[in-house]
Amino acid sequence: MTLLSKLLQKRWLFIGFAVGAGMLSIPTPEGLTPIGMRALTLLVVVFIFFVTEPIPLPGVALFIAIAEVLLGLAKPAVVAQSFMSDSVFFIMGSLMIATALVKQDLDKRIALAIVSLTGPRADRIILGLTLVSALLSSFIGEHTVAAMMLPVGAALINYTHQDWRKIRNLSVIILLSIAYGAMIAGAGTPSGGARNAIMLAYWKELFDLRISYFEWIKMAYPMLMIGAPVIAFILYRTFTPEVKDLSPAVTALKEKVMKNGKMSQQEWLTIIIFIFTVLMWMTISDTIGLGITALIGVLLFLTAGVVKWEDLNNNVNWGTILIYGGAISLGIMIKRTGVAEWLSHSFLAWAAPFGIHEGLPLLAVISLMTILTATVMSSGATVGILGPITLNIASLSGTSVIAAGFITVISSSFCFLTTVASPACNIIYGSGYLKKSDFLKGGWKLILLSFVIIQLISAGYWRLLGH
Amino acid sequence: MKVLMCTDGEDYAEAAIRFGGRLAKEMNADVSILHVRPPISPRNRVQLTTARKKLGEWNLEIPGVDHLIRAKEILTEIGLTKTAPLKEEKVSRAFRVDVHGATELHLIGLRGEMVRLRLREGHPVDEILEETDLGNYDLVIVGARGHKGISAHFVGSTALRVSDLAACSVLIAKNIKEEDDFLLCTDGSRLAERAEIIGAEMARKLGAKMTILSVAEEIEKKENAARLARRADMILAQMGIKAKQKVRVGRPSEEIIDEAKDHDIVVMGASGSSAVKKFFLGSTPLKVIEYGECPVLVVREKRGKISLQSTN
Repeated sequence: MTLLSKLLQKRWLFIGFAVGAGMLSIPTPEGLTPIGMRALTLLVVVFIFFVTEPIPLPGVALFIAIAEVLLGLAKPAVVAQSFMSDSVFFIMGSLMIATALVKQDLDKRIALAIVSLTGPRADRIILGLTLVSALLSSFIGEHTVAAMMLPVGAALINYTHQDWRKIRNLSVIILLSIAYGAMIAGAGTPSGGARNAIMLAYWKELFDLRISYFEWIKMAYPMLMIGAPVIAFILYRTFTPEVKDLSPAVTALKEKVMKNGKMSQQEWLTIIIFIFTVLMWMTISDTIGLGITALIGVLLFLTAGVVKWEDLNNNVNWGTILIYGGAISLGIMIKRTGVAEWLSHSFLAWAAPFGIHEGLPLLAVISLMTILTATVMSSGATVGILGPITLNIASLSGTSVIAAGFITVISSSFCFLTTVASPACNIIYGSGYLKKSDFLKGGWKLILLSFVIIQLISAGYWRLLGH
Repeated sequence: MKVLMCTDGEDYAEAAIRFGGRLAKEMNADVSILHVRPPISPRNRVQLTTARKKLGEWNLEIPGVDHLIRAKEILTEIGLTKTAPLKEEKVSRAFRVDVHGATELHLIGLRGEMVRLRLREGHPVDEILEETDLGNYDLVIVGARGHKGISAHFVGSTALRVSDLAACSVLIAKNIKEEDDFLLCTDGSRLAERAEIIGAEMARKLGAKMTILSVAEEIEKKENAARLARRADMILAQMGIKAKQKVRVGRPSEEIIDEAKDHDIVVMGASGSSAVKKFFLGSTPLKVIEYGECPVLVVREKRGKISLQSTN
């Protein structure tokens, strides 16, 4: 009985392997090499594993490495190399920097800054929360911002009313504005999310294109500047708050923060090193690489003593680094073995009669495809698997590879519907204040609007920039 | 004896805790209170721990903890915990990840050492079972909704599944009343005999009345059922406990449910049926739990022994 239920829990593992074995035994389709067929098989199996998670995701990354060698796609040394690159350094460094920032008491300062700027009106506080979460998240990633801002939101809720269940709508708005604000900005700068680093790696490895930190901001920031206010507005309209004046909460919050006194030397030092790192990203990272720049920042944090190695050891999701290493490695393999090319040709042959095979319609289709995939699996894995394919389709059809890349990365953050798809939603949901249905209520409107906004940006603003 | 009480913050759970607290007090039992929160993906556990630490810095509780605090208050009301009413006493709370996979809430400064508040994340049934298993509990108390009317015949599947799968005795607490009147069910099996002893022991500690019920499936077997009831009475008599005897004829589950209307707590041995038989026919305890309207204590042997006796 228990053995059976255990096996049933792992059913997707067996289904995945069965699909793999099936694909390896059928004849190779036209236009694909035998080695390409094996890479395609691996892609499908990994896709199944990423969506259903029969084993922990870092385990899937290990599976990718093992399968690449066993299927003869590459030699061990090549596989190892594809796992670790400057982009993975960048992911690792960014996670460490975020840890150093979270360790400080900055959340209290941020809370104070927000309420001082917005005053006690609920709608303005919501807008403030969304915008600040978005701005922060674009630099240090949505995981960290969600973890940092959740207490701020919870404090506002608890200071407004002793029993948060009595002000459920307000609680939902406050917490979702943090989650959604952090999510939509994940693609704001390269350091905002690991998926951005994956896209940078693909551009460089597959098309020899280099995008600087600053160029990225220029392309991606309009989305969050438009998106964040839209989120605040839609949330406020969807869930009508019970209380519209938060003066008692604001007063209590100010008192609480004042008790902590002035900012400590250590907090100043942390901020200074962080700003210095961002400046380095914007200026010299083109020559020495984003990853190495991030590592300089981490080293400065360690030297200054604002973060201990134990903190990094305990608070960095090391599995994440492995997952992205695996995703990038797989992406490179499916390009090298010609699978991406073959899939792109097949897609274009299918899409041409509908007129969605190039230019703006193609970008819309890529965006839609990405949103759907990102809703069922993590956005990093989405970009990892879809990236090489969307870039290839764009390149074959003569559409801008840069625009295709950006629309893939940005659309992958539109997973407003479920609690599991994005880390920010997951963390906010994990606080226990929200129900799953809360995400559905506002989420579908936001997906729709975000989709429209990104199409307008790609049709107007990106055109102006020449992409 | 170790008792685990589960709460989800509903009224019926509070009633269950009130009863369990009274029982634990009389029996000198160790008490743990468990609340199970919805599962979170292990991927973001690191960030969630960080967020929780920060919530602590703000002196805020995460939802779910308030249920535990409320439970603790109930136990204090009953007088289970010895709270020293010091003026400057401050209750500071800290989260610590326990070795057994649950987060334990420490109430520092209160002298209620016998009470542990535990928080787990995941599917309620799985987590309660895991906690029961790892914590080596002797009794699990799960509250259940006691509806009137049509929905009266529906117990939350959590309570039902825990009572079926737990490795120790389970008390399904629904429609808990203040006065105590135990109904001990016997079918002559060894487990039923043990159940009688446990039930009688509890009833004695709580100062409750006791009735022994034996059900004959057919009228011809009535004499046999009466004999079983007498034997149970003899066992209780040896313990120095007096009880009434009752014999009924009919389907055991229906007769027990019917008889239970006049009593407060049904005590019965766990079903010995195999998993297959249970799947197709159901078992008597499960039916009583599902369709009956009063609390049911299902006594089960834990690793060969039943350790529900009080520790004096």
